[in-house]
Amino acid sequence: MTGTLRQVGIDIQESEENRALVDAIKADNPELTIRHLPGLVKLQAAGQITINRRTVEEKLGHDWETGEFQLAIVSYAGNFSEWDDDQIIVKWEH
Amino acid sequence: MQYELRYQVIEPKRQTYQNVIDRLGDQPASRYLEATLDVEPRENFHYRPTWIKDRELYDERYSALRLTDPYSYTDPRQFYYTPYVTNRAALHDEFGKTLSYLDQRDLLTRLPGGWQAVLTSVVLPLRHYESGAQMTSVTGARFAYGTSLEQCCTFAAFDRIGNAQMLSRVGLAMGGGAGDVLDVAKQEWLAGEHMQPLRRLVEEIMVVDDWAEGLLAVDVLDSLIYPLIYSGLDESALLGGAGAYSLLAQHLTGWFADQRRWLDALVAAWAADSGNGEANRHGLAHIADTWSRRAREAVAGLATTIDGHLPEVGSATALALLADEQNARWATITGGAA
Repeated sequence: MTGTLRQVGIDIQESEENRALVDAIKADNPELTIRHLPGLVKLQAAGQITINRRTVEEKLGHDWETGEFQLAIVSYAGNFSEWDDDQIIVKWEH
Repeated sequence: MQYELRYQVIEPKRQTYQNVIDRLGDQPASRYLEATLDVEPRENFHYRPTWIKDRELYDERYSALRLTDPYSYTDPRQFYYTPYVTNRAALHDEFGKTLSYLDQRDLLTRLPGGWQAVLTSVVLPLRHYESGAQMTSVTGARFAYGTSLEQCCTFAAFDRIGNAQMLSRVGLAMGGGAGDVLDVAKQEWLAGEHMQPLRRLVEEIMVVDDWAEGLLAVDVLDSLIYPLIYSGLDESALLGGAGAYSLLAQHLTGWFADQRRWLDALVAAWAADSGNGEANRHGLAHIADTWSRRAREAVAGLATTIDGHLPEVGSATALALLADEQNARWATITGGAA
């Protein structure tokens, strides 16, 4: 493996609820680039993207289960290397 | 023949409303922020209140506790009309289901005698307490400075009507659909000796001029009553054959946890405020000083009555613990300011 990190990405449907989710991902992943397309928010970062339940709940103001992430995503590039009750990590595993 | 699909992006002229742009810049913001930031008017009032000459209609001087910027505080639950209504509709739906379950099995009328007595003489009269608490919250809704604070008070006021309604429904179910049990409960509130200190205290809080003091005085009471009466009796209820009570009380315990979320954050914001923190901590210490001892005395009557009917509960001991806990909590918040 060379030192260059491959990009991973998540596409999220743009909506009132998901805005807090995007804010949370932005807060936890400082290197994130965000592109707004009609009805869609494309998030990209080198290496990995982490989503923490706690941050999302803080931004949303109510409880949130990581399973609800399914309802927000349109597409993704990378593997879900971790998806438990507290955290989701997207990165390339091979 | 080949088609080329293209999309065209039409940039909106503005992403959000001016009140949000003024504070956060032109970016999409949550409905909560759009409906909250700087909504309450601050200037260009046409009329002064005739009943208080040196105040504006909305004025921060209605309370000794102030925030340099009222919008430095936001509701952690981000409640505006829709999420609030949805959330509470769900709460009362759940409560309704619990109640109809208990009703179908006659579990309320088959409660052991001691528990029946506790319900009619202590728990059900508290719907009048909720009513008093509702009035104090409404005062906050009118006089709090800043929409972020005011709307929390408004929702809290409606919550109190809801809580009173939950208790009323329990009373109706106990009376088999008739209001007899509620009538008895009202007499307990008006004339029962154990209830009078609490009733007196609530009525005194209702006429406190400073809205924040009133709100916090009720909270001092809440912090004793809710853990003592609802969550505190839970275990004894389950072990003592009064599971029905536990099923009902969980909904009020759940509400109290929700109430804590915004109120604790507000108290923390007052205590930590950049411009008024020092004065606020003194104000908070004064409030705790004035009301916590009286609250404890007022609730002591309820604890003694519970212990009279259900000696195994040990409410008086539990109350002493809760009161100490509360004093310690206030001391931490105010940092010993007095």
